Amino acid sequence: MSGFSELIKNFEKTRDYVRDFFIYGFKVRNDFERKSARTYDDEKRRVESWLGDYLHCDDSVRGRQISITVDSGHVAENPLYQAYYSKSFTDNDIKLHFLIIDILFDGDWLTLKELVSRLDDDYGEFFDEQTVRNKLKEYVKEGILLTEKRGKTAYFSLSPDTADHFINEYKGFDDALKFFSENGEFGIVGNSMLKSAQLKNDLFFTKHNFIVHTLEDVILPEIIDAIGQKRYLTFRTFYAKNRLNNATLGEENTVIPMQILCSVQTGRRYLAAYIPEYRRFNSFRLDFIRMVKTGTSCDEYDEIHAKYQRNTDKCFGVSFGMRRDVGAVEPIKISFTIDEETEKFVIDRLKREKRNGILEKVGENLFTLTVDSFDPSEVMHWAKTFIGRIVSVEGGNKAVRELFYKDMVRMKKMYGGEENDDIQ
Amino acid sequence: MTIFSEIYGAYFRIAAKLMKSASLTENDINNTIQTEGFRDSVLFLPQKLIPQKDASDWRLFRRNSDGTITPVTKKHPKSVITNLQRMWLKSKLSDPKIRLFLDDEIISALEVSLKDVKPLYLPSYFRYTDRFSDGDDYNSEIYRNNFRKVLNAVKSGEILEIAFTSGHGQRIRRRFLPLKIEYSPKNDKFRVYCQLIKYGKISDSGIINIGRIEEVNGTGHFCTIPVNMDKYFAERKCTEPVIVRVTTERNAVERFFMEFAPYEKQSERDLVSGNCTVKLWYDRQDETELLIRLLSFGPVIEILGPPDFRQKVSERVMKQNELLFKE
Repeated sequence: MSGFSELIKNFEKTRDYVRDFFIYGFKVRNDFERKSARTYDDEKRRVESWLGDYLHCDDSVRGRQISITVDSGHVAENPLYQAYYSKSFTDNDIKLHFLIIDILFDGDWLTLKELVSRLDDDYGEFFDEQTVRNKLKEYVKEGILLTEKRGKTAYFSLSPDTADHFINEYKGFDDALKFFSENGEFGIVGNSMLKSAQLKNDLFFTKHNFIVHTLEDVILPEIIDAIGQKRYLTFRTFYAKNRLNNATLGEENTVIPMQILCSVQTGRRYLAAYIPEYRRFNSFRLDFIRMVKTGTSCDEYDEIHAKYQRNTDKCFGVSFGMRRDVGAVEPIKISFTIDEETEKFVIDRLKREKRNGILEKVGENLFTLTVDSFDPSEVMHWAKTFIGRIVSVEGGNKAVRELFYKDMVRMKKMYGGEENDDIQ
Repeated sequence: MTIFSEIYGAYFRIAAKLMKSASLTENDINNTIQTEGFRDSVLFLPQKLIPQKDASDWRLFRRNSDGTITPVTKKHPKSVITNLQRMWLKSKLSDPKIRLFLDDEIISALEVSLKDVKPLYLPSYFRYTDRFSDGDDYNSEIYRNNFRKVLNAVKSGEILEIAFTSGHGQRIRRRFLPLKIEYSPKNDKFRVYCQLIKYGKISDSGIINIGRIEEVNGTGHFCTIPVNMDKYFAERKCTEPVIVRVTTERNAVERFFMEFAPYEKQSERDLVSGNCTVKLWYDRQDETELLIRLLSFGPVIEILGPPDFRQKVSERVMKQNELLFKE
């Protein structure tokens, strides 16, 4: 395996492997439709190296299956963050990083020429001006260095802000960092600060924790930047069946991005966007999006966003429906039987989970929930968590109602003993 | 500006840590790489950090005449906060949960410190479509005080006397040792993992919703023996995993594996049918939650066992059919 490195240049390819090892855990080499077996072996070895004991190999009849086994509710640190800490770099990158920080440690302001000279004089390292200039420019952009012009000459100094400074200066900052490094958007950024202060989260766990979302943090900044700047966005979508196939370039989409939609129950996250070509809103799975590029400014952004806000009133989940295909959809009305005296917790559950639905008591121990939604199938997926209490389903559309009734018949056969001969 | 950058990387972090020592041995370097690096880092990194005769290393360290190794830098490397980290911090100041950790004057001071920084995102850029609507009240001063007392006890190991109303409406006042705090983005609630203390001894494990706490006071007694959390969770775990067959119908495999990704599980796929058999382990207290989430998949999955779990599913399904087809 000559030439193998545990560091990587490109996150995209690895993102898919890590996701599939983690989500499925049953895939074998042939399921990864790569041209080269070596690519698979290298990716597998890298993930093994990053994740250590979390990676498991099991022999099945189909071959050796790789899985990342994590009880996400009981880990102090998201193990998938490791993938972000594996970016490759050049010898010059690491040398310049530590030597420039060392030279500017005391808060001095130096010019490019002075820095080049100090690198040579103090450390015996000769760098050409262009190489150092590029690094200085990069570090000013990253916020590691400050710059100011004196006359025509640029001076550089080290930013005084360190993670240690924030932790020592602001009481409770370290606890907040420990919490937000594992919870909420871009936890990986908080984790990077914790690590630079040599701290670890030893206080918090996260239930219903979709650790795999961090793999989308590599594309999200560009998307939210486009939302903030009210710009068009171009990206490619790779559906599950061909996501790992290099032969396809996916499907290109040009959209006006509106919002990131997160389901804390199904674990899916979407980009809600307006598609000018079809003049409609749609939601795109974030884990299927690649190659994101911000486009030009959108003059009609505010107008479209206002329309989007009005539309979200009729989104039970993330779907804007398919009215053009299925025709008009009525509000869906589901009736539940609940013992008001002994099952108040079920009524409470309906209240906290009903979203935009209207809950009414219509009789003794009888309640109805009416949801005016673009896509009643989203309502029914959730409503099935109340199996054993649903008295009737009305409205919505015919297909959704029929599917529910058929499903219940199939489940009766499944669990009623008629179709379970193979159950031990 | 991306988090996928070498400046946050494991190799830079290891080098920074080592450069804080004035004198090192090769063993010190290897040990640090082993504890701080990836599993295979020991194969790649030592020869780049340890001075080599052919100067193929990064020349960040030099070897002394007594064989020890010293950084070429004069000061301990500073870990400077980057713009990305500042922008992230600025965004977090808009999160109401920040007030659980920071006092108002600290938040004001941070706002001043970050006044010229653009937030990485605004809360309105994200919408949680199915988060429960009865989340904890982070703006309540009583809630924040209770949270802080529990958090401080988690850090200090102090045993607390906690009065709360349980989910079944029972009023309880007992002594507990708080171990860790858990947050659920689905419930938007915090809970605390505890050990119940009876007659000065650990008697049982429990979980208390911080939002249900009515009163919490320190006892002045501390637990000095660290609690093994793996053992704690193992004791709360189901004795047998739920076994589920997931069919390929309605994209169930993809949907199921995504939704149940947070669970500890083992899965195997049938070569001919494409169906998967999955074993799921869960906390006994969460059994009903798991059961109803499995039910939401309808007939595209089948719960195969254990028998008592399948029986509970069966009872609900039979009751449902009676309600729909009682004629």
